[in-house]
Amino acid sequence: MMRRKRPGFLSLTLKSFLVILLIACVFGIVKLRSDFLKLEYSIGELENKKTNALRERKLLLAERTSILSFAKITTAQPSQEGFIIPDRVKVISIDKNKKYMPYRASLEKRNLDEP
Amino acid sequence: MNKKRAVILNTVIIFSFFIVIFRLVDLMIFNHKILANSARKQYIKVEDIQARRGIIVDRRGRELALNLELDSVYCDPQNFTRENEKLGTLASLMGQKPEAILAKIPEQGRFVWLGRKMEPEKAEKIKSLKINGLGFLTEAKRYYPKSNLASHIIGFVGVDNQSLEGIELKYDKYLKANGGKVIVERDAGGRILSSGVITEIKGNNIVLTIDEVLQQIIEKELDKAMSKWKAAAGSVIMMDPFTGEILALANLPDYDLNKGSSANASERRNRAITDCYEPGSTFKIVIGIGALEEKILKPNSLFDVSRGGIEVGGKTIRDVHKYGVLTFKEVIQKSSNVGSIMVGMKLGKERLYKYAKLLGIGEKTGIDLPGEVSGWIRPPEKWSATSIGAIPIGQEVAVTPLQILRAYSAVANGGYLVTPHVVKEIISPDGRTIASFNDRDKIRIISSRTAETFREILKSVTEEGGTGTLASIDGNDVAGKTGTAQMINPATKRYSKEKYVSSFVGFVPADNPRIAMIVVIYEPRGQIYGGAVAAPVFRDIANQALSYLKVPIEEKQNKPDIVVMR
Repeated sequence: MMRRKRPGFLSLTLKSFLVILLIACVFGIVKLRSDFLKLEYSIGELENKKTNALRERKLLLAERTSILSFAKITTAQPSQEGFIIPDRVKVISIDKNKKYMPYRASLEKRNLDEP
Repeated sequence: MNKKRAVILNTVIIFSFFIVIFRLVDLMIFNHKILANSARKQYIKVEDIQARRGIIVDRRGRELALNLELDSVYCDPQNFTRENEKLGTLASLMGQKPEAILAKIPEQGRFVWLGRKMEPEKAEKIKSLKINGLGFLTEAKRYYPKSNLASHIIGFVGVDNQSLEGIELKYDKYLKANGGKVIVERDAGGRILSSGVITEIKGNNIVLTIDEVLQQIIEKELDKAMSKWKAAAGSVIMMDPFTGEILALANLPDYDLNKGSSANASERRNRAITDCYEPGSTFKIVIGIGALEEKILKPNSLFDVSRGGIEVGGKTIRDVHKYGVLTFKEVIQKSSNVGSIMVGMKLGKERLYKYAKLLGIGEKTGIDLPGEVSGWIRPPEKWSATSIGAIPIGQEVAVTPLQILRAYSAVANGGYLVTPHVVKEIISPDGRTIASFNDRDKIRIISSRTAETFREILKSVTEEGGTGTLASIDGNDVAGKTGTAQMINPATKRYSKEKYVSSFVGFVPADNPRIAMIVVIYEPRGQIYGGAVAAPVFRDIANQALSYLKVPIEEKQNKPDIVVMR
């Protein structure tokens, strides 16, 4: 009659460890999957927030554009005439980059040399 | 016995495994496609990618047409529960009666719009009512931040963003974008997981040649003139005479682009290109240019107009004032009808017609706006006996303000007929230039010498003794021509004695033009002459425009008090 050799302590420990490892792996995968989904939800929420922020930004930009229109600026002035474009006979703009133009600015009638 | 049991048990286990394996093969191989599709339908959702029209900006990048994203409210009649109190609040928020809202909701069907593109605050209040069966969708709404500004150029779109007028219509294929589809995952509760893809597609942006400030200046001054003369309508066009770029274009009456659908036909008419009128004396450019180009006359050629009238085909045409002997230059300067008819007769009808066509009369200018008309001038073989007396002074012809401006621009730029245009560039959403219209075709139609001579004649119009002195400005010479034309009374089909079209067309600075401009005032009251009605508008606009464009005053003129270095 053959005698069966009883499994050793090391073998039992190894088998138990492997079973626990297998179970841990399964749970780990489930946890990872769950975390991944959570992240996707978070990203989804952030994307929603971003979309709403962009929407609001568009509204604000439109409002700013409307407020900064030349028509609004002219009517915003307290005087009845609104914003007045300078009288070009009294004030003239000179581009200093053009060589044939004078470099120095002056207020001739007020005896000033510098702008 | 134990061995027998073990065999049976093993057989059962192996058989069970086989069953499982067969089932797996069935699910994973034979029915894979059907089942995979069925699963996809449950966790995948196909959503529309929002398509947004490109924006429209002026030549300096100031926004003229934008997109907003607003909520629209719809109703699913199958899930709608009527709660009178909430319905009342909803109706008051939407500015309607509860019965009107209920009338919109059919018995059958699953979808009906209740309100489109609502203001954000209003939409939030409706959302907070939490009415069963109401849902919200985000839609793009076209918004025009400058309201009425350049309304006849920009145009507008309808509630479904379909193009209806102006640049919106003409350049629709560039502005609009085709929406696509995006696949997103969702959970059992219907919540969408991160899509991680672009959910917006943009159309191309359009850069106009218009300058917002110049546009505002001409609209303001035109409005002032309309009020002053209680006129029926008016048009002003400002153009770069060398390139054909329209710097500003305004018509009154106009309309608010954000309420474009409610504007009437008169408000929506772009009179500058769609309305024909008899130009009157501004048409004298044709006989002037023709006579100089054909070398029939010189500026100092003499005409005896002392009779104050001339009979053509049994009809007598008179001057406003009696003059003695005038030079050709003075004929134009004083706008003598008699002298102009004499010039026209010297030129002859064939050549008169030829030069009218050369200057673009009776032809579309090719401007990139919808609805342009060609106007008309009859060919010489169809002229009546009076035509040679009428056409040289701008009668029996129909033109648009833009055609006349284009003809005068040829004098300003040394003899070239330019193609007017309002679009400068088309830019893709990522910033690439798709098309540039900076170098449009221009054709030489007259010699530079003729242009130069006629320019000097036109300068005399705004000098002492001319009809357009009120168009002169301090600091620079103005070249131009006044025009006063009677309108046809539709009832009598004869010239009206009350209704006139007053106009002034010119360019400034005369010797190095930066702007060419036409002012047309329809049916002014109290005064009718172009020199009195339209010329001051030209002056006021030109003064501000030249200041804004930093055009220096000419040295021979007054020196400035202050010089500012930039």
